[in-house]
Amino acid sequence: MSSTTDASPNPTGAAAGRPRSGGSPAGGKGAKPARRGKPGGRDLAAALPWITPALILIFGVVLFPAVVMFYNSTRDISLSGLDKGSVGFDNYVEVFQFPYFWPIFFRTIVWVVVVVAFTVVISLGLAQILNKAFPGRQLVRLVVIIPWAASVVMTTMVVYYGLEPYFGIINKFLVDIGLVDTPEGYGWTKNPTTAFMWSIIVAIFVSLPFTTYTILAGLATVPGDTLEAAKMDGAGSVRTYFTIVLPQLRGALSVAVLINIINVFNSLPILRVMTGSIPGYDADTIMTMIFKYIQNQHKVDVASALSVVAFVIVIVIVAVYVKVVKPMKEV
Amino acid sequence: MKKSLRLGAAIALAATASLTLASCGFGGGNGSDGGDASGKTTLNMLVPSYSDATQDNWDTVIEGFEKENPDIDVKLEVQSWDNLESVITTKIQGGEAPDIYNGGPFAGFAADGLLYETKDVVSDDTYSDFQDSFLANAEVDGTAYALPLIASARALFVNNDLLEQAGVSAAPTNWDELLDAATKISKLGGGVAGYGMPLGSEEAQAEAAVWLWGGGGTFGDAEEITVDIPENLPGADQIKKMIDAGATQADPGSTDRTPLMEIFVQGKIGMQVGLPPTVGQIEDGNPDLNYSIVPIPTKDGSPFTLGVMDQLMAFQNDGDKQDAIKKFFDYYYSADVYVPWVQAEGFLPVTKSGAEQLKDDEALAPFLEVLPDAQFYPSSNPKWQATDGAFKSLFGQIQSKPAQDVLTEIQAQVDAS
Repeated sequence: MSSTTDASPNPTGAAAGRPRSGGSPAGGKGAKPARRGKPGGRDLAAALPWITPALILIFGVVLFPAVVMFYNSTRDISLSGLDKGSVGFDNYVEVFQFPYFWPIFFRTIVWVVVVVAFTVVISLGLAQILNKAFPGRQLVRLVVIIPWAASVVMTTMVVYYGLEPYFGIINKFLVDIGLVDTPEGYGWTKNPTTAFMWSIIVAIFVSLPFTTYTILAGLATVPGDTLEAAKMDGAGSVRTYFTIVLPQLRGALSVAVLINIINVFNSLPILRVMTGSIPGYDADTIMTMIFKYIQNQHKVDVASALSVVAFVIVIVIVAVYVKVVKPMKEV
Repeated sequence: MKKSLRLGAAIALAATASLTLASCGFGGGNGSDGGDASGKTTLNMLVPSYSDATQDNWDTVIEGFEKENPDIDVKLEVQSWDNLESVITTKIQGGEAPDIYNGGPFAGFAADGLLYETKDVVSDDTYSDFQDSFLANAEVDGTAYALPLIASARALFVNNDLLEQAGVSAAPTNWDELLDAATKISKLGGGVAGYGMPLGSEEAQAEAAVWLWGGGGTFGDAEEITVDIPENLPGADQIKKMIDAGATQADPGSTDRTPLMEIFVQGKIGMQVGLPPTVGQIEDGNPDLNYSIVPIPTKDGSPFTLGVMDQLMAFQNDGDKQDAIKKFFDYYYSADVYVPWVQAEGFLPVTKSGAEQLKDDEALAPFLEVLPDAQFYPSSNPKWQATDGAFKSLFGQIQSKPAQDVLTEIQAQVDAS
């Protein structure tokens, strides 16, 4: 499709940024609208060799597992993994009848909202600092990447062991400054509430680099003359930030939020490490529950059903977000 | 159209991200088949890691075996206990079951018709060399489907110095003495705990068995799993009594066994139930620790230990591999190969010839002594796997919930499986 418009090297198409919008002004030559009338067959055939690898990838990596997951969710799979036939939607019934399902569901929402909100607010501040010129900025920018470059499990393990009673360095510190009064420290990761809170802190920590850099990229696109104009009109720095800079960050922010929502919702390793030894279901989110179905109960079928439910939830959240915020709309 | 395209793009993005987790289940197949071009038979073997040396210990066995049988190639895969069961499930689901598998529960596999009978994969000599009680524990409906591999028994490790400091003259033999001694040790302060009680997900079923069975309870037998029965209540109540009296470390419900044992080794815990390999662990970590090993205290002081037996099992993949598997097992269980292996891992042997050779080993003696009173998990019950999982994920709640509720919840999860 794009080949028709790219054929005419006119400045209009380039300025609009998208080949499609360049179409009508460029359509001066009579033949073109006629060809556009039936874009189907030949173009597609010509494009096929080029897009086949991508299609194979999408089918193999995205659609095939999705179909298998849905298929598994309607089967009865034995403990050792053998398929014993269809059970219709019984697995879904089991998921929703599980007495802890709704607490887990709401905890998942809290998890996503809190982590994403804090991540974005802190990242906005960090990006602002990193956008200013100061000696050693290069170095600080590098340091901010580290939590991203390090394995999430490793980062979480470091915090987890730091929080262990008896030998954890964080516990030792808290005991030394007198905040914890038992000499062996407090079992932060042994109690559902504190373990969940620490998981949120770790999740924010590992989400910061990506978000900061997305916003930093957004800041780089804010034109200097708009800031200058605001200055000349006598706007203070706070007002400039909220009325000039922030609206122009809309694109970067909305992408960052969208990707973070999906990422945080699907995050397993942090909670798995931090809350793994806690009995019961008082610190679980949907993702760790899927894991527990597989690991502890060997119910691959029910786990698949819950995965499908999680999948639907993510799509609903994203659809609502896209509808309400319209993240891709230009400012 | 534009808008829907973008919505579509966003949804595709969401789909990709959310499927990353789901697609994790589809890895790990290596597609190796029975025989290869050179006519060699390949045996795939999946084992858990008992210690850091497990890989080397097996490699030694395999090397010796391959030297004697150049036409058989043994491929070893070592996994951690945490992952073992999900790995085997994934492999079976993908039609890539290993030929030889070393694990705990086997009845589920036998019920699905995946295993060779033990008789079919070992010679008569090897078969009759197994201790009868262990072999009986590997049976489903009177037919053995697994080969006993190692046994272990548990005993109470006691820190003599802490006991002395707390003014306790002798190691406890029953629950009242244990509660009393543990409370006194806990009162020493300085972060010292009287009794180390690991009810976290790592091995909650073991600590649960120590208490519930020690009070006359049971988890059931090959036919029926019985967790929610009155016989199990005294043990569960005693656990609560220990916790409420402050006789244990903090948060017993979510403390895992391995890290807690480290703390015992460092001399911060008065008493904790341990295994034969714990002896080696103390030797490595803190050889100066003044400790002794005594039988586990029970309600009335009658002798009891929790025996655990791990098994080898042979999956029916390909008819022509049966002979190769048989050769391997016969080689492995010969005393000259088997005894060094068991010794290196620090467990107890399951063969008569092995026990004969090891009876003078000092570190193992206290455990060999309690072995006759061992009770085993009902691991030949097809529901044992589910029971095991239910204990791991639920039993620790006893710290904050009434004992009866926890037992009921576990039973419900088992029945629903």
